[in-house]
Amino acid sequence: MVRYVTRKAVGWLLMIVVATNATYFLASWFLDPRSNFKELRPVRSEAQIDRALAPYNLDPRVPLVHRWWDWLTSVTLHFDWGKSPTGVSVNGEVGYRSLISAELVVMATILSVVIGVALGVYTAARQYGWADRVSQAMSIALFNVPTSVAALAVVFVAIWLNQHAGLHFLYVAGENSPGVEGLFPTIGDRLLHLILPTLTLTLMGYVGYHLTQRSLLLDTINADFVRTAQATGLTRSQAIRRHGLRAALIPTAASVAFSVPAIFTGAVITETVFGWNGMGRYFIQTISKNDVHGTVATAAFAAALTAIGAILADIATVFLDPRVRVN
Amino acid sequence: MATDATTNAPSRAAADRVPALARSARKHTDLGLGRLYLRRFLRNRLAVVGVVILVLLVLFAAFGGRFTSYAYTDADFTALTRPPGALHWFGTNQGGNDIYACTVHGLQRSLTIAVSVSVLTILVAAIVGSGAAYFGGRVERVTLAVIHFLLIVPSFLILALVSHHLAGDWRVLIVVLTVFGWMSTARVIWSVSTSLRERDYVRAAEFMGVSPLRIILRHIIPNLGSLLIVNLTLGVVTTVLSETALSFLGFGVQTPDVSLGTMLADGASTVTSAPWLFAFPAGLVVLLTVSMTFIGDGLRDALDPTSVTGSAGGRR
Repeated sequence: MVRYVTRKAVGWLLMIVVATNATYFLASWFLDPRSNFKELRPVRSEAQIDRALAPYNLDPRVPLVHRWWDWLTSVTLHFDWGKSPTGVSVNGEVGYRSLISAELVVMATILSVVIGVALGVYTAARQYGWADRVSQAMSIALFNVPTSVAALAVVFVAIWLNQHAGLHFLYVAGENSPGVEGLFPTIGDRLLHLILPTLTLTLMGYVGYHLTQRSLLLDTINADFVRTAQATGLTRSQAIRRHGLRAALIPTAASVAFSVPAIFTGAVITETVFGWNGMGRYFIQTISKNDVHGTVATAAFAAALTAIGAILADIATVFLDPRVRVN
Repeated sequence: MATDATTNAPSRAAADRVPALARSARKHTDLGLGRLYLRRFLRNRLAVVGVVILVLLVLFAAFGGRFTSYAYTDADFTALTRPPGALHWFGTNQGGNDIYACTVHGLQRSLTIAVSVSVLTILVAAIVGSGAAYFGGRVERVTLAVIHFLLIVPSFLILALVSHHLAGDWRVLIVVLTVFGWMSTARVIWSVSTSLRERDYVRAAEFMGVSPLRIILRHIIPNLGSLLIVNLTLGVVTTVLSETALSFLGFGVQTPDVSLGTMLADGASTVTSAPWLFAFPAGLVVLLTVSMTFIGDGLRDALDPTSVTGSAGGRR
């Protein structure tokens, strides 16, 4: 098992390295830090701009390959991801923001999978019942709503609730309130700020799991091995849970990995709407401020999240599917 | 490769259904294949509702502009941020632009982008996917490696990066969305056509000396017809969603041009004070995507009678 996971991890690491370097070249191509100086008054000369960018390894006079090599050596030797065109360290920004993003993404992923699979199982066992029809209609509708619309609808409802019900704990902006002190008040405050963005991401995320899990379970629910299990004396729900669900969970486990990037994309918009200073918002800011190093670090972060999701999915598949042998 | 074995299974099953489709069609020859599909499609009430909504939306996008004297670029400085009324049916925004005119134009823009991207995506995916399956060997391995790599690379980030640089022009956006959107469809088409390449009619064509390109275009792709049509409608949904997301973040269509995504972004800051700025484009986006999903489901059921899923599950 350990060997299998290590082999997978090495493969993913290679993939991340290639993807990150490709992003470096793409970002250097498409982002021009010099344009940040165009609006400044008094007008800077070309030479002045280049000199200002030189300490951050962004000097356009240096060939791209040289800059790439310097960047690569500093990343591999010192794990230093470089500086923004204004000299802010990318490491510091990412270290702080990735935690904020992780709170959101991990929580939303877990909730989406649990709610989606549970709903899928519940409705598949009651196919064409009213609960099935209602949740099916709701999921298809939610599936087609853009994240931006859903997030803003959540904001709208939350503000309405705050005004009409006199609630004070639904925060629509930021990840914490200023001036909160002490360990428990801080945790409580952060959790309260987490409610609405997590709700949005979960609403967007659970739908896929619900619909796929429902149709997968419907395929196995009438299979011979589930009927056999029932014939040996298990109740219908036991047979479904222990035998049908186990077989139907395998493709879902595999798809969790590839939903991580989708959740991350959803988080970009959700963070923008809710004013969270996580990685998603950082990504938007780095692109619009022509911050090559910051953009590359975000891409690497997203790729790493995907890899972790994929490895976890592989482990889950091995545990669920007795046909898969790892050695 | 534990994951590969499991993800292939459903699509292989779908491929086996193709002869079943042909058989059932032969049984009803007196009805005609087109009439048969139409009857099956009309039996699905939601799909018919979807078609009605879509037709209304297209008519609105095409002719809605005739009913107002304002263009989406006109600024009415006597009516800034007005709620919907007799003069401005959907109200105006902070710059005095008529929201009705903006939505008509934005819907036009979003529809054009969505339809062209999904048509182009399907074309690329069909040719690459079936080509890889037909040639096999090294071509297949390299193509699959490229597809898998592109699927893993955070494509939305690269999409944003590239379109930020090139943006402003909606035609460029079409190209960018196509370049980064064909992979998952190509993978599905590849897994279905791996079974088609072993079929007798493909073999027969090979022995008659038909060129590989002609075999792919005339023998393999036509047999993927139903899959391609269903993916085409669902591709419209995906494209509308990603166009909205990109434009919302400011990386897609840019001012002075207007799409539904940019309108959502404009209305975002005034959700409570001026909800009409947000509500009309949001409603249209949802109507568009929901109607396309209904149509896609209806088409799947009509073209593939053995389909049991009949739901939106299994994509994204």
